[in-house]
Amino acid sequence: MRKVLLLCLFLASMSSLLAQDRTVKGRVTNEKGEAVSSASVRIKNTKAGTVTGSDGSFSIIANDKTILIISSLGFESNEVTVGSQTEINIELKATAGNLGEVVVVGYQQLRKANLTGAVARVDGKEVANRPVMSFDQALTGKAAGVQVNTSSGLVGDNVLIRIRGAASISSGSQPLIVIDGVPVTQGNDQQLYNPVNTLADINPNDIESVEVLKDASAAAIYGSRGSAGVLLITTKKGKSGTATVSYDGYTGFSNASRMMKVLDGEQYNTVINKLATNSGSPPYAAYGDYDGDGQPDAYSTNWQDELYRNGGTQNHQVGISGGSGKTTYYGSIGYNDFKNYIMVNRLRRSSARLNLTTQATNWLETGIKMQYSQTNSFGLGSGTGGSLSGVPFGPLTAYPNVPVYNDDGSYYIGNGGNSPLNNTPNPLAVQTLNYDNRDTRRLLGTIYGEAKIIEGLRFKSQYAVDQLSAYTDQYWDPSVGDGNGSAGIAQTVANEKRIWSWTNTLNYVQKSGDHDFNVLLGTEYTRRNGTGFYALGIGINDVSLRLVDPANYASVNLQNFNTENNGLASYFGGINYGFKSKYIATFNLRADAYSGFGKDNRWGYFPSGAIAWRISKETFMESVSSIADLKLRASYGITGNSNIGDFPALATFIPTQYADIPSSNLSNPGNTSLKWEKTGQLDIGFDMTLRKGLQITFDYYNKETKDLILANPVLATLGFPGNVITQNIGQIRNQGLELSVSAPIFATKNFTWDLNFNTAWNKNKVISTNSNNDDILGGNAIIRPGHNLGAFFLIRWGGVNPDNGLPTFLDKNGERKQYDHSKPAASRWTTVKDGTVTTAVTATDRVLMNDKTPYPKIFGGLSQTLRYRNIDMLVDLQYSFGSYVYNSTLQNLMSFTSTRNKSVHILDAWAKPGDQTDVPRLYFGDNQFAQVSERWLEKGDFVRIRNIQLGYSIPKALLEKVQLTRVRIYAQAQNLFTFTGYKGMDPEANANGNVNLGLGVDFFRPALPRTYTIGVNIGL
Amino acid sequence: MRQFLYTLSIVTFLGATSCQKKVTDNVIPNDRVSSDLAFSTTQKIESAVAGGYNSLQDLNFLSGRALVYIDLQGEDIFDRGNFFGDLPRFNMLSNNGIPAGVWNAGYSAIATANRNIAGIEANASLLTSARIKVLIAESKFIRAVSLFYLVNFFAQPFVFTPEASHAGIPLILQSFSSNDPAGNKPRSTVAEVYTQIIKDLQEALTDLPVQQDDLYSTKTRATKASATALLARTYLYKNDYANAKTLSKQIIDGLYGTFALQPTPNGAFGTGNFQTSETIWSIPNSVNDNPNTNNSLPQHYNRSGRADLAVSKSFTNTVTNPYFATDDRRRTTMLIESAALPGYFFTTKYTDPQTRADWAPIIRYAEILLTYAEATARLATGVDADAIAATNLVRDRSRVSAPAYTVASFTTKDELINAIAGERRIELAFEGHRLWDILRVKGNVTNKYDNNGVTLLPVQIFGSDKSIMPIPQAEIDKSKGVLTQNKGY
Repeated sequence: MRKVLLLCLFLASMSSLLAQDRTVKGRVTNEKGEAVSSASVRIKNTKAGTVTGSDGSFSIIANDKTILIISSLGFESNEVTVGSQTEINIELKATAGNLGEVVVVGYQQLRKANLTGAVARVDGKEVANRPVMSFDQALTGKAAGVQVNTSSGLVGDNVLIRIRGAASISSGSQPLIVIDGVPVTQGNDQQLYNPVNTLADINPNDIESVEVLKDASAAAIYGSRGSAGVLLITTKKGKSGTATVSYDGYTGFSNASRMMKVLDGEQYNTVINKLATNSGSPPYAAYGDYDGDGQPDAYSTNWQDELYRNGGTQNHQVGISGGSGKTTYYGSIGYNDFKNYIMVNRLRRSSARLNLTTQATNWLETGIKMQYSQTNSFGLGSGTGGSLSGVPFGPLTAYPNVPVYNDDGSYYIGNGGNSPLNNTPNPLAVQTLNYDNRDTRRLLGTIYGEAKIIEGLRFKSQYAVDQLSAYTDQYWDPSVGDGNGSAGIAQTVANEKRIWSWTNTLNYVQKSGDHDFNVLLGTEYTRRNGTGFYALGIGINDVSLRLVDPANYASVNLQNFNTENNGLASYFGGINYGFKSKYIATFNLRADAYSGFGKDNRWGYFPSGAIAWRISKETFMESVSSIADLKLRASYGITGNSNIGDFPALATFIPTQYADIPSSNLSNPGNTSLKWEKTGQLDIGFDMTLRKGLQITFDYYNKETKDLILANPVLATLGFPGNVITQNIGQIRNQGLELSVSAPIFATKNFTWDLNFNTAWNKNKVISTNSNNDDILGGNAIIRPGHNLGAFFLIRWGGVNPDNGLPTFLDKNGERKQYDHSKPAASRWTTVKDGTVTTAVTATDRVLMNDKTPYPKIFGGLSQTLRYRNIDMLVDLQYSFGSYVYNSTLQNLMSFTSTRNKSVHILDAWAKPGDQTDVPRLYFGDNQFAQVSERWLEKGDFVRIRNIQLGYSIPKALLEKVQLTRVRIYAQAQNLFTFTGYKGMDPEANANGNVNLGLGVDFFRPALPRTYTIGVNIGL
Repeated sequence: MRQFLYTLSIVTFLGATSCQKKVTDNVIPNDRVSSDLAFSTTQKIESAVAGGYNSLQDLNFLSGRALVYIDLQGEDIFDRGNFFGDLPRFNMLSNNGIPAGVWNAGYSAIATANRNIAGIEANASLLTSARIKVLIAESKFIRAVSLFYLVNFFAQPFVFTPEASHAGIPLILQSFSSNDPAGNKPRSTVAEVYTQIIKDLQEALTDLPVQQDDLYSTKTRATKASATALLARTYLYKNDYANAKTLSKQIIDGLYGTFALQPTPNGAFGTGNFQTSETIWSIPNSVNDNPNTNNSLPQHYNRSGRADLAVSKSFTNTVTNPYFATDDRRRTTMLIESAALPGYFFTTKYTDPQTRADWAPIIRYAEILLTYAEATARLATGVDADAIAATNLVRDRSRVSAPAYTVASFTTKDELINAIAGERRIELAFEGHRLWDILRVKGNVTNKYDNNGVTLLPVQIFGSDKSIMPIPQAEIDKSKGVLTQNKGY
C-alpha cells in the first residue's frame, strides 16, 4: 500500500513537471467583497498549497490543468480550474449558519450540521482580556442554562458552575472541565484560610473556544463524569501561512462594587448603650482616653475605608502564531496581576504556552500542547468571611469608636473606653501583619500522535498530564488576633497533585454518496493522586525569621498526607450517521470502572442516543425562503457522577492519637453496596437559522438523577464520623427550557449591531430521599420529597409589633407570638392577639418555603456588540431572577447579644408606640430577634452590567505606514453596576462553597470588585 | 506499514488490561486501613481501644470544653469574650452548636467503645484471655464516662424526680456498621442510665488493673482507682451517700494505689505536674494533639490565651463565697489579674496557652477526699470527725490564718456539710464540677453575673427548663419523633 501510494505521488509530480508551470496570483473574498485571510488554497490531488494573507491574496505555482481547492472555516469550499488565468479572484460563500463550523464533541470533531446534541459554544474572544481572575468567571451569562456564580470578590473564591441545575445533592455538581484533552484539577486545593480556584492557573487569553456539552447525547461520551455537563476547552493553534505577532495589554484599577454601611463612632456609642441600658445593664460603649488628659477622645474609624483601596490590575500577553509547510505553531507568554480592592489580596500569574502540530509524514500527525504557569496568590492571613479576623467580618464589626493607630504609629490594639466584650481585633493590624500566601506551579500538557491507517480511518493516541504543585506559607503575628494567644504561628503546606490520562481512539469518517459516517472507538485511563506535607510552628522566637524550624519555634508539628487517590478506566464507542445531511442519528456508549467503588459495583454503563432532522433540507421547506436552516433534535442518555471522593464505599480506620498514645478510629463507616449515581436526561430542541442571519436555539430538558450518592445524615447515636453514611438514595429532577438568540440587528458597511441573548428556566424537584423519604436538612435549607431542592426551612417572621416594639414570629399554626426578653424566663412568650403567656416559637415551628430556594428560576445574559466605522462597543449584561439569599451577614450585624459594631439598619429600631419598623426595641440579651428566621431571607434578583467596552481601531491606512496590521485601543469596566434590592453585599454571595444543600447563604462574603481598565490590542 | 499500524493499535487496545488494573484494583489507600482489618492484629486492637480514649478527648468533650460548660453555667466564672453566646445565660436555642458538639462527641465515644467490645470479642483468638478482660473493661469504662457526662448535660439531675423516672438519654450498647433502625432509640429514664453506668463501672472495676504499663498510661487510661472514683461520683449524684462513702474510702485506704495531695495548692497543675500522686485520671493533651486555639482549656482560661473566661466576683467575694478566706493561698496560686485587662482575674490552673498541652483534670484525689467527707458528714447523725479530718487534708494545704476545723467548729451537721461544699467549690473550681454540684442537691444558681461581670443574671431555680441543654434539633429531626425534646426548647 505504501509503495503504491509513493508511486502515485511520484506520477503526479511527474505529470506536473510535464505541464507549463507559472505563478498564479489571486485574492479570496467573502460575499461582501471583504478579504478572507488564512484561507487554504490547495492544488487538488497534491499536498502543495498555501494560505491567503491578511488581505486575502495568495500566489501559487500552477499550470493550465491545475485545479485549486479554496477552503476556509465557515465557508463552503470552492474548486477552480486555473486554465489560462494568471489572476484568479475567488468569492467564498459563507456556509449557512456556520454549519460548516467544526465542533469538538468529546473525542472527535463533528460538523455542526451533523450535531445531534445540545452544545453551546463560547468563542475565546468572549473570555479574553476580561479583568477577571479565572476564565470560568468570564463565562457568566454567555451560554443558556450555564449558571456561573462567583462566591465573592475575594481572590480565588469558589466559582460555581451549574449546567441545567444541580445534578446531585451531596456529590459534586461542578461540570467536568477538559482542556485540550486533559481532565483538569479544579476547585479547592489544600489551601489554609483562603479559597483557591485552581482554574486561575490557566491563561484565558490562550483559549480558542469553550464548548459546553449540556445534554446526554453530547456528554454521555464522558460517561461517569458527564452528569453535571462538560466544558471542553480548546486552546489556540497556529495557521499555516505568515506568522502573526500580537500584543494584548490592559491596565486599570478596581474598587469595591458595594459596601455595607455600619455605625460610626458616635452612632455606635448611642446604639450600644441604648441596648444595654434598656436591659438594665451599665453602658458598654464609650470613647477612650488615649492622650492621658483624663478626657475621652472621640474617634470614628471607618474600618472598611482603612482596609479597602483602589487595587491595580494589569495584563500583558504576547502571542505568536503561524506555520510553515507542515508545521503550525502558537506560542504565548502572559502576565496578569490583579490587586484586589481588599488590602493585601492579590493574584499574579505568569504563563507560557506552546502549541505545536506537525505533519511528520503523510500518514502521521503529531502535536504537543502545553502550558506552564506560576500563580502567586496573596490571601488574607486571618482568613476570610466570617472568621473573627476575617474580611469583611473584621471591618464590619470592629469598634468604630477607637483609633487605628497609637500615637507612636503602632497599631492600636485595645478596647478603647468600651467594656471588653466582643473585641474584634484591629482589622488593619491583622491584615498587614498576618498573611496566607500561595505559590502554585502548574504544567498542563498533551502530546499526541494521529495516524491515518487507511483513508478515513485514524488512530490517535494521546497522553495528557496535569501536574500541580503548590506551596502555601501562612503566618500569624504574635502581637495581634489569632497569633496572640499562641505567641505566633506559622504554617506551611507543600502539596502536589498529579493527573495523567492516556486516551486511544480509532475514528472512522466516511462520506459515500448520501451516507455520512463518523464512528469512534476508544479507551481511556485516568489516574489522579496527590500528596502533601504540612508543617506547623507555634510560639515564634525571632519574628523576622518565619520558616518552620524547631530552633525558632517553641513547638513544631509535621505531617504527611494524601490529598487524592483514585483512578478511572473507560471504554467507549459511538456512531454518528447522517443520511443526505438530513436525517442524523448518534449513539454512544461508555463503560467506566472507578477505583473508589467496591469491586462488584465498580462498572457503570452509560448509553445515549439521539436523532436530528434537518427539516430545512426537505423539499417542502424550499418554499419557506426565510429559513436557511432548521434542525430538530431529540436525545436521551444516561450519565454518571464520579465526583464522590476516593474511597466512599470502603469502611476504614485511620491512625489517631490520644495525646502521646497511638490510637486508631473509624473514619468512614463504608458501604459495600454503593454504586454509581445515574442521571437520565431527555432533551428536545431545535436550531434555526434565518436567511437574515438570526439564529435561534431552543431546548427543553428533563433530567432525572436517581440512586443519588448521598452523604446521608444519620443519627449521632449510630456513632459514625460526621454523622453521615454514604448511600445511594433518592431521586431528583431538573426540568427546564433554554433559549439562545443571536441576531444581527443592523448590518451596513459602517454600522453593525449584533445581539446575543440567552435565557434559561429551570425547575428542580426532589422525588424521593431514602426508603423512609426522610427530610435532609442542611444549614437553613431542607430536602424533602415533593418539594424544590434546597428550599429554605425557617421560622416565619411576624414583624415588629408597633404597639410595644417586640419581635414577633409565627408558630407552625400561624399564631403570631411576641418575645419580651425583659420578662422572667417562663413568661417571655405571649400571643400578640391578647398577650397571654404561651409556648415559645422554636425549631419545631419551622416551615418549608417551597418557592424560596437559592436557585434562580430564570437566568441568563444579554450581550450586544456595536460597531460604527472604527469604533466598537460591547455591553454584557447578566441577570437572574427568582432566587433567594439568606442574609446571614445582616443577621449578625443586627445581633442584640453582642457589642460588635452593627448595621445602620439598627437605627430604625422601634422607639415609641406606633413606630412601623422591622427592627424591634433595642434590648441587650434578646437572642430571639436575630435568631435564624425568615426575617433574614431576601430576594436575590439582580441585573448586573458585567462588562462594558468601548474600543477604537486605528484605520488600516495609517497602520500600513508603521507596518502593523491591527491596533485597537479600548476602555472597559467590569461589574460596573448591579441592580438589586438585596441589602447585603452581593446577591450571588455564597459562604458554603461548592455545595448543593446550603447554597444561598451570604455570611460575610466580600463584594465583587468593580474594575476599570484601558487596553490595547496590537497585531504585527 | 499498515500492518505495523494495525499491530500498534491492537497492542494498544490489549495493553489496556494492565492499565485498567493500574487505575482501579491497584489504587489502594495508604493513609487508612480497611475496617475488615482494624482488629486483625494485636497492635491494631490495642490502637482501636486507645481510640476510645481519643474519642473522649474530642475537642467538644473531655479535652476541656465539657468541663468549661459545667463551670460556665455555674456562678464562678463569666464569659468575658462573649464566646459561648447563650449558654451561660441558660438561654440556648435548640439549634445551638454547643449541645450538638457535646452530644455528637459523647455518642461517638460510646460507639467507639461498643465497636471495640464487638471487635475484641470477634477476634478473641489474637489475645490472651487476661488481656481481653482488661481491654473490654477499659471500653466499658469509656462508655460509662460518656453516659455520665451526657446524662447530666441533657437530662434533669437524678434527684429531679423521686425515682429518677424522668427522661434521660438513649442507651446505646451495641455496635453499628450501617444505617440500622436499631440506632434510633428513645430516651431511657435517668434511673436506667445510672443503672447502666454503675453496671459498666462495676464490671470494669473487676477486670481493670491497678496500674497500666507505665505511669503516663496509669494516669490517662482506666484503672481500678479511676473506675472507683467515677463510681463514687455517680453515687454522690444519686445521693446514695453510703456507696459514695464506701468507694471513696477504698481509694483513701490505698486499695488501688497510693494517692496523696501535693504539698502546695495547684501542685497537680502545669507542665511537669500532671502525673503526680494527686492525679487519679486526666485526659492528656500534647503539643501535637490538643483542642487548638479555639477550644483548649488554657486558651479559654489563661490570661495570655484567648482569656474568654474570667473569674467572677461571686467567687472572689467572701460574702458570696464565704469559705474562701481572704488569705487563702489559692487566692494567689490559683488566680491572677490580667495586665491587658485590669480588674479582670483569671485562673492559673491552665498554664500553657501557647502549645495547649495542659491535661484536662477529670478526677483529682482532692475530689475523693471531699466526696468522702461529704458522704460521711451526710450519713452521720452529728458533726462527724472523720469528715472533718478529710476536709482538713484539703483545706490545710491552703489555709493561713484561719483555724483548722475541729468538731467544735460546727454546731450542726448542716454547718459541716456547708463547709465541705464550700471547700469543694473552691478546691475544684474551674475543673468542671460547679453546676452539677449545685444541681445534685437541688440547689439554685444564684449570684451569677452576665458576660460583663457586672450585671446579675436572674436566679436559675432548680429544675428550670433551660438549666439543661437541648437535645440537638438535628437529632430530633432525624429521629422522626422517637427522640423527645427537653421541655422549653
